[in-house]
Amino acid sequence: MTERFDAVVVGAGPAGSAAALVLAQGGASVCLLERGPFPGSKNMYGGVIYGRILDGLIPQWWDEAPVQRWVTRRCTTMLTAGQALTIDYRTSAWGSPPYNGATAFRPDFDAWLAGKAEAAGAVLVCSTTATGLLRNEAGAIVGVRTDRPDGDIEARTVIACDGVNSFLAKEAGLYHHAEADHFTLGVKEVLALPRRDIEERFGLRGLEGADFEIVGCTGDVPGGGFIYTNLDSIAVGLVLSLPGLAASKRRPEDILAEMKTHPAIAPLVEGAELKEYSAHLIPEGGYDMMPELGQDNLLIAGDAAAMCLAAGIWLEGVNFAIGSGAAAGEAVVEALTRGGVVAQPLEGYRRRLENSFVLADHKKLRRAPGLVLSDRVQSRYPQLACNLAERMFTVDNPSPKKGMVALGRQEIKRSGVRLRDLARDAWTGLRTFG
Amino acid sequence: MTAGGARLGAARLGVAMKWVDLRPEIDSLTGAVHTDARFSGASGADQAALELALQLGGTWGADVVVVSVGPAGSETMLREALAAGATQALRVDGDTAMASQDVARALAETFKGLGVDLVLCGDWSLDRGSGSVPAFLAGAMGFAQALGLVSIAPDGRSPCGLSAQRRLDGGRRERLRIQAPAILSVESGAARLRRAALTRVIEARKATVEVRPAPTPVGAPHLAPTRVGPYRPRARTLPPPSLTLSPRERVLALTGALVERTPPQTLVLEAPEAAERILDQLRTWGYLT
Repeated sequence: MTERFDAVVVGAGPAGSAAALVLAQGGASVCLLERGPFPGSKNMYGGVIYGRILDGLIPQWWDEAPVQRWVTRRCTTMLTAGQALTIDYRTSAWGSPPYNGATAFRPDFDAWLAGKAEAAGAVLVCSTTATGLLRNEAGAIVGVRTDRPDGDIEARTVIACDGVNSFLAKEAGLYHHAEADHFTLGVKEVLALPRRDIEERFGLRGLEGADFEIVGCTGDVPGGGFIYTNLDSIAVGLVLSLPGLAASKRRPEDILAEMKTHPAIAPLVEGAELKEYSAHLIPEGGYDMMPELGQDNLLIAGDAAAMCLAAGIWLEGVNFAIGSGAAAGEAVVEALTRGGVVAQPLEGYRRRLENSFVLADHKKLRRAPGLVLSDRVQSRYPQLACNLAERMFTVDNPSPKKGMVALGRQEIKRSGVRLRDLARDAWTGLRTFG
Repeated sequence: MTAGGARLGAARLGVAMKWVDLRPEIDSLTGAVHTDARFSGASGADQAALELALQLGGTWGADVVVVSVGPAGSETMLREALAAGATQALRVDGDTAMASQDVARALAETFKGLGVDLVLCGDWSLDRGSGSVPAFLAGAMGFAQALGLVSIAPDGRSPCGLSAQRRLDGGRRERLRIQAPAILSVESGAARLRRAALTRVIEARKATVEVRPAPTPVGAPHLAPTRVGPYRPRARTLPPPSLTLSPRERVLALTGALVERTPPQTLVLEAPEAAERILDQLRTWGYLT
């Protein structure tokens, strides 16, 4: 016997649950498949969740969402072997409704969001893996196959939110040019620390949280580091270029251990007890590596569609997953309302993504991944900035203070960065971020 | 050996399952145990009991009733049992800290009310692990008991007779012939729970799980630890060395250094010969007779 739904959503992460929620709210019958024993059971994510996208889906979501801390302190740090230069921004505005970003444990957050979809009418089925696409005799996609006996699910639309390594998108041939350099490897340690220690070390009170994004901490492997504060633990990790990591022949945990010994990082993690280590691929290639958004009755969203923004100063994923999932759900509801010819969900989905931040931000920041992972941004500019800061703040009396322009010229020359490259990167940065 | 005398009367099998945290976290410094409902479910032994009951139910055309004494969260486990093929699920509202006698009494009342006279359950729970509930249950219901079984199958001689095996020390097995009414507890390796069909999983989400109140506790209160601490291996008691020895000799005697012993050996042998050598060595050390 085959189960029949208007839509089947594969993967109960933020994208899948958002899609299922919108579908159920729109009156569609929807099955939400999750391969883990409960949504979020994988628990790999180590970032900040920006919840503004939830405003339209779950009013006053901040009153009930299971967050650890509301991020009120955002630090961007450049490291060299013995130096650290940090741009430290904090605001109390992010510590009260409607908030900006939060740290959260994904087992809590994903289960909460999936629960919202279930409460709206979605049928959540856990411990069930979608093993492939179900096609009719004409070859059209009419559902998914699962690893359970009698496990076929027929649906008018399949929304694949099955993560960075989407087997459904691959089976449908939607990935045309997936290369190793389109992905990074994220590794994360969760370190237990008493709440009071966290608040003292990071200068926090109550539910205030800190978000440190770090460049220059990955040795000869392009990438970056991060530290996020939870209530009584901190997440410390790295995001590493896959080709760079392979070429270096180093283990990611070794690079992470090295970062934790840096004089600027060690006092933050000292005495913490390792609770968990995990690793996960991240689709960081940006707009130019995105696969096709769907095919016939198949739509892909979230990490499956490479909708993760890694643009140096902006590192966002969950909001893009929710945004794309919700757009997929809306497109399917629209198609169902209209009677649903085959191409309608995909057209509506693409239109919604292009008109929203999901594709607009990716398109605008399409050059960012190449710039951020370049050798100059990874090592030379941090060295240059740190040296410049050191010269500025070193008091070497009886010599008189040098002018900033003179110091800048000297340090640029010393760093080996050619003015031509500096100007080109500045122009690229201006076009990307400006 | 025959346990019990009557044949299976009602066409109903009972399964008692306990909802436990399958991945509890234990603080290595304080020994405190932290549980998480999301990782809770049936132990491997309880799953094996359910699978064997489903197999027997299929052979005999009998209904399989699953009962759990636990909090509301245990209904997730009961729905999984329904999805796997159980025909009815009941929850007796209680908590996981109830005394074994009270749990057994609650189960006994429920099973008696349902006309169940053959109950399967796991040999012991993952959280308390005393394995006392099956025995208490047999006592409360006045049934024979066959505990710690590694296999159960219809015996083929009587309509509803069973043959079973129980693990004994020294690698031996005890073969049992069982007739209901009886309480059977099984090890986790006795069977692997079947994968539920998708249709049944979806149906089970909305299936009714009847909830009954727990009977008033009468058993001795559950023994609660008065102090929780980290695990420490028990110290070995060594006889003191003779006072007539020199300090160096006494240190050597205490540490065992320079004591003559059988040196380790590395043997490269075919599997049957290797197994024989291992058995020989175990006999030499006195582990096998």
